[in-house]
Amino acid sequence: MGNNIQRRRAQRRRSRVVLPYVLMAPAIVLLVGMVYPFAVGAYYSLTSYWLQYPQRFRFVWFDNYIELLEEPLFSQALKFTLGFTLVAVVVQVGLGIAAALFLHGRVPGRSTLRAMMLMPLMIPPVITALMWKIMMASTNAGILNHLLSYIGLGPINWFGATEAAMVSILIIDTWGNLPFVALILLGGLQALPTEPYEAARVDGAGAWDIFRFITLPLLAPFIVLVATFRTMDSLRIFDVIYATTVGGPNDATTNLHIMAYQYSFQWYQLGRGMAQGMVLLLLVVVISYLLMRMWDRAAERTPK
Amino acid sequence: MSTQASARSRLSRSAAIAVGAFILVAWTVFPFLWILLTSLKSPTDIVAVPPTFTFTPTLNNYIALLFGDQSGGGVSTTRPDFPRFFVNSVIISVGAIALSVLVGIPAAYALARFDFPLKGALAFIFMSFRFVPFIVFVVPLYLIYQRVGLHNTHLGLILAYQLISLPFTIWLLRSFFMEIPVEIQEAAAIDGCSWLGVLTRVILPLSLPGLAVTVILGFMFCWNAFNYPLMLAGRNTFPVTVGAIQFISYEQVLWGQMAAATIISALPQLILSLMVQKYIVRGLTMGAVK
Repeated sequence: MGNNIQRRRAQRRRSRVVLPYVLMAPAIVLLVGMVYPFAVGAYYSLTSYWLQYPQRFRFVWFDNYIELLEEPLFSQALKFTLGFTLVAVVVQVGLGIAAALFLHGRVPGRSTLRAMMLMPLMIPPVITALMWKIMMASTNAGILNHLLSYIGLGPINWFGATEAAMVSILIIDTWGNLPFVALILLGGLQALPTEPYEAARVDGAGAWDIFRFITLPLLAPFIVLVATFRTMDSLRIFDVIYATTVGGPNDATTNLHIMAYQYSFQWYQLGRGMAQGMVLLLLVVVISYLLMRMWDRAAERTPK
Repeated sequence: MSTQASARSRLSRSAAIAVGAFILVAWTVFPFLWILLTSLKSPTDIVAVPPTFTFTPTLNNYIALLFGDQSGGGVSTTRPDFPRFFVNSVIISVGAIALSVLVGIPAAYALARFDFPLKGALAFIFMSFRFVPFIVFVVPLYLIYQRVGLHNTHLGLILAYQLISLPFTIWLLRSFFMEIPVEIQEAAAIDGCSWLGVLTRVILPLSLPGLAVTVILGFMFCWNAFNYPLMLAGRNTFPVTVGAIQFISYEQVLWGQMAAATIISALPQLILSLMVQKYIVRGLTMGAVK
């Protein structure tokens, strides 16, 4: 009798051990299916795989990576990847803080404004790019050039000139992602404690001092968090560039992702393309790791 | 004197609010408005100089998009691709999120409620997909799909889309499951519920809103996907995102039809996003922010 109970207990304990794996099993199958292509890609980055010359396939260790250092397009793409990310994150977080503070204030129709801001956020980025491409037509029929003409500017060759193309991509990316930044920061603002503000008001602090010495430090964890998300996506931005400039003019807007795509699918040099992809991955991992450590520290400093 | 000053400052405050709101609305809404207008213009109105806000609206772009080009005397000269692209988007997105939810529910339950060796490692691997540039996945997938016949198939795309939807689904469901008090679950277990009973009778009903949010947001991510189908789909399976850029060719850009296509492609997103607006930030950060 007691034996029976013990056996049932042992059975239950065994099922507690096995059960989670049974529950995870289908996901693990798919996981293997996802890790496998990644492993193959990492392996290709160490080979001379060129789709048109399969007989030349050799294992070349880190040759692809070393060759990248001498490739002018690579240093250009690396510069654009990092430069674009830095500018995009600073611009979007800066404007995002402004928009969040604005929406946090007593604005009539705030919930309507919030719902409206979701629209650019949720539509496909490539569709966003096409919408702006229509507006950024460089002919006189382009609405943006027409509007600029009222203030005596333009016409701008939005995607045809080097610097203009970079700015155009920044504008499009900002339009699509500013709502994300603003909404996270707005959520952060709404979660802040009220006591420091009351104390500051008693002390007669000005609006700027309150922002500088209370809001900003308290909001820091949210700012770092949103900057991390935006950094990860800006480093890998692809859709918007592909749908507008495809990396041009003169490779000015070619980032590492576009470069890896071109090597892989236009020139079929899969080995090199994969090496560029792995470099980009390394960049994303290292930079987001640094930002996450910053986040940890910011979250620690914030009094709970 | 002081009341006058405070009245003036109140006035300048509301002026600032009005300006801010105007900038925000114009910046957000104007592109949609302009594309909507463009989609209703005839080819001559589209290239009019200067751009015009007043014109005779026409539905020709939508008709051409949905039923084929009617310019050949009322008889459709080309078979329209766009309706097929739209159906493809629906099939792939629904299929992908259905598979993710089916697989993700038990996995999220295990990650939320059990302690087991490898748990941390598995959770980490699922999260780390968020970092990988798609190109590293898509090149090997392209070669594998060519070999096993999954290239240009709905099934192949549904499987590839798991890279987008599965980690997201597991992570978000896990965060919703973890919110349910363990006590409720324990009470059910004492009453004789098996783990399956706990999952289907306690956890899932209690996290139904979370499940709905996960499904809708996952569907939207799949709908928005562009780069995987760009490489892994073909003419028969292109979704609207890839279909929409095909109005740009070397000879010409069909601005009107492209505008109509962007409106139709964005429409499901705009409707769905209003349904889950409270949860979107949480979904986009995989639960990192509530």
